[in-house]
Amino acid sequence: MRTQHQYEEKKGETGYSWLRFSWGKGQALRLFATLVLIGAGIAFYAWYTRNSNDNSPDSVAGYGFAIAGTLFLVLAGIVYSFRRRARKKRVIGQLHASLQWHMCFATIGLVFLFLHSFGNFNPRSGTYALYGMIALAVSGVIGRLVDRLAPRFIAAEAHKALTARGEDRVESISQKLQAIVVHNSEEMQGFSPGQNKAISSSPVTLSDGPLSNHFPFEYKNQPLHTPWDLAYISLEATPQELSREAGQYRFVPDKKSELMRPGAFMPGAQEHISELREVGKAMQRERFYRYLIRYWRALHILLVFVTLGLLLWHIIYAAELLLPTLIHR
Amino acid sequence: MQELQACIGCNECLLSCPALGEAITIDVLNRETLSGPISAPVARFARSCYQCGACVAPCPVGLSREAMMMWLKVRLLRSGWEKE
Repeated sequence: MRTQHQYEEKKGETGYSWLRFSWGKGQALRLFATLVLIGAGIAFYAWYTRNSNDNSPDSVAGYGFAIAGTLFLVLAGIVYSFRRRARKKRVIGQLHASLQWHMCFATIGLVFLFLHSFGNFNPRSGTYALYGMIALAVSGVIGRLVDRLAPRFIAAEAHKALTARGEDRVESISQKLQAIVVHNSEEMQGFSPGQNKAISSSPVTLSDGPLSNHFPFEYKNQPLHTPWDLAYISLEATPQELSREAGQYRFVPDKKSELMRPGAFMPGAQEHISELREVGKAMQRERFYRYLIRYWRALHILLVFVTLGLLLWHIIYAAELLLPTLIHR
Repeated sequence: MQELQACIGCNECLLSCPALGEAITIDVLNRETLSGPISAPVARFARSCYQCGACVAPCPVGLSREAMMMWLKVRLLRSGWEKE
């Protein structure tokens, strides 16, 4: 007898939950390393502030935090970018590990640079650089959340746009609609060309034919083309008959007729059209989530350059303060 | 899904994927994308794929692995709903 576990194994993995995290050994190690380094930095900060009178960004510890934080930020940028562009010695899963190190280094760098400030947020350049880094880190965190949630939304929308066999649903609905249109145009042939031609091919035209001579009405030796008697019924082709002949005949059923019911001429067409609209909306939403993922990444990269600019401004500002002091010693 | 038949198994898509955290062979991924039960590593990969499109450009035969991964996600999603 097959157990439930064996049955599940044969059936394979199912479901796509919103927040399912899978932790590997590598991820746990990286998280541990990050926490240890941050913990060490905070412990040193606490020890230094208790044992030293110089608690400022330009103290020895302040510079130490600044250098360490900048190094970690540079590492965060370089490790992932270089690994992504590398063409040699690549292993499956290595890029994923690099991306995680990128997040770890960025977090450590941000914490160290925050400690470098020693709570002193007066100098403009440094404060702006720190704000830039905070924005960068926050955009990264939100980006990871978007990466987590948006694909699930995309999958839900793609489910609406794909058939059970994974084919484009728009195409299958369009084919059904086409079949309905073909069917109805075949049905409509009973109304238009054959019958209309029968009617229009033998119109009784009195004006040109021999019967026109039999008009009893004359005015100044000219036959009257329009009868004076309103009760007279002309046998000339009516505008409706002429339009039928032109192949633009439109059948307008009586208001009480069954044919006035929506979809009477095209059974199922309305349902297919609304289905088509639904799929169109689903595809629009899918496109929006795709753009969200890609443009958020672009925003993150843009923030990298803004933060780099602010950081360079702050480094130049700090160097202008530091270098004269070092030279005069 | 006819695109899958054109895959030459060069692994370029998997090598350039930042979401793939464990070693998966391309033939297993292709087989499970098409039909049949989805193994735990492939399901984990499908759930962690964030449709960045990094796998599309390196493909030497111009296949869209991104679209195939989407189909895998849809299959997981539908199987989850069927289970419920």
